[in-house]
Amino acid sequence: MKNRSTLRIAEIRKENFDINTYRFNFDLKAKPGQFIMLSDLRGGEKPFSISDCTEDHFCITVKRVGEFTKRLFSCSPGDLLSIRGPYGSSFFISAGKVLLVGGGYGTPPLYFLAKHLLKNGAEVHVVNGARKAEELVFCEKFQKLGINYENTSECGRLKNSGTSIDLVEQAFRNNSYDFIYAAGPEMMMKNLQDKLGKLPYEFLLERYMKCGVGLCGNCTVDPLGIRLCVEGPVLSKALVEQLTEFGNYHREASGKRIYFMKTDKGKK
Amino acid sequence: MNERLETKFLGFKLASPLVLPAGVMGMSFSGLKISADLGAGMVTSKSLTLQPRTGHKGPVIAEFEGGILNSMGLCNPGIKDGLAEIDEFKEGSDTPVIVSVFATSSRDFIALTEEVNSSSADLLELNLSCPNVYDEFGIPLSASKDQVYEIVSSVKDISQKPVIAKLSPNVLNPAEIALAAEAGGADALCLINTVGPGMLIDTLMVKPILFNKFGGLSGPCLKPVALKLVYQAYSVVNIPIIGMGGISTGNDVVEMLMAGADIVGIGTAVYSRGIEVFSKINAELLQFMDENGYKSVITLPKLEKLDV
Repeated sequence: MKNRSTLRIAEIRKENFDINTYRFNFDLKAKPGQFIMLSDLRGGEKPFSISDCTEDHFCITVKRVGEFTKRLFSCSPGDLLSIRGPYGSSFFISAGKVLLVGGGYGTPPLYFLAKHLLKNGAEVHVVNGARKAEELVFCEKFQKLGINYENTSECGRLKNSGTSIDLVEQAFRNNSYDFIYAAGPEMMMKNLQDKLGKLPYEFLLERYMKCGVGLCGNCTVDPLGIRLCVEGPVLSKALVEQLTEFGNYHREASGKRIYFMKTDKGKK
Repeated sequence: MNERLETKFLGFKLASPLVLPAGVMGMSFSGLKISADLGAGMVTSKSLTLQPRTGHKGPVIAEFEGGILNSMGLCNPGIKDGLAEIDEFKEGSDTPVIVSVFATSSRDFIALTEEVNSSSADLLELNLSCPNVYDEFGIPLSASKDQVYEIVSSVKDISQKPVIAKLSPNVLNPAEIALAAEAGGADALCLINTVGPGMLIDTLMVKPILFNKFGGLSGPCLKPVALKLVYQAYSVVNIPIIGMGGISTGNDVVEMLMAGADIVGIGTAVYSRGIEVFSKINAELLQFMDENGYKSVITLPKLEKLDV
């Protein structure tokens, strides 16, 4: 069986009220930014970014959103799951001073990236934002890396209040960066893009994926036709800049376009 | 593109004999465009239905040594949104495009044909052979020569585009079905759709891997079956054929052309060789022609027809 394994959950860690991290003791040989297709073979298979990976284990971090992820939340260590992958493109591992921008449950793959950047000798700064303070994930894990880490929420009791973009602006006033990375809500990355000027960057994008192997075409992005499951999910600045659908629309399971903002409806 | 690869199909000029078949990369204008830009001479939309369909729950794909099983379940944005993607594709490309449609009755096929008539599609393909919706719709229409004849002839009555019948390999009488499509007025045949369906089992979880349990088989293991069925159809009909099934190299394409196909579909090889598969195979075709003294794709010989 090519590229598919049936693995037992080694550990489940509760990150917050609706986010869990699942650890599998398996040498997946994944690179930061790559994803797996995960299924319980009971109806539902979804892509999940890898939030950590070493030679003896890997982790994915899952938000409870639908039927399938609800079932994942009732799983216990020892339960079997079907895993395909790793699939997709990975982040460029830069040196120098880098800024990682995470939003909501999009943040976990940036933890895996941060570890690799540190190994490469980069100076890693992370900003992590969420709507509410209790929705922030991986705060302790990032802090334990001994890096420059800031988090913020739009409403809550944190030192900072506001969006990740507010923290980015603050970071830009005091630092000059060599490379920017982001993962999270698309509108956050769209807003971030406007602040980046000539800085090189990579974004981790999300689209509805079905086959995961570049055949069905559900995750192609306009107008390039590149497949986020093969040529993505990590896209470089040069590619992101050409995407007319970035921050504009995405395609649902049927392939129908869904616009991020209703006012954009009908706009091509 | 090299003019030695040029060919004609139902009056349309193709830059290459390679076709992107229905179900692969055909969900969006950009998926069609990249396939054409990278060397496909003609492209086909995902099979469109009157209403949008989200398809089966996953897993919808299972990879194995000989190819893949899929049970996508005819997911598509519906005929209206699907044709809008085709119109957007045609705004930026001269590559001929086939719109594939799926229905289970003449009435619905006619309604779909009316929509396609008023679009920028160049050709219409009737998907009579999806193997992945048995539970919902029963045995595919292409299992019955009477149904094939009825649907093709009722669509032909109103279609303003050439009509292609996409046929199944999973029938007892493939030659009779091909003849029924021709008798109904089909302008061309497209075969084969995926084989089986088949299944794969997860031995630790003791469950079928596909949530739909069964799925159509595609990939290299299909080639011998596809060659045989195309050759059989070629031997009995006088209309052109789009041949496909397990074709992934230049030599495979030559085999398919020799079996009687006029042009050749490349589907699962997009998975095994990347989206650049079209340019790779075009180069392999040119190399084959160079090495064996053929001037152009249209001068490649065909097998002698079967005695029937």
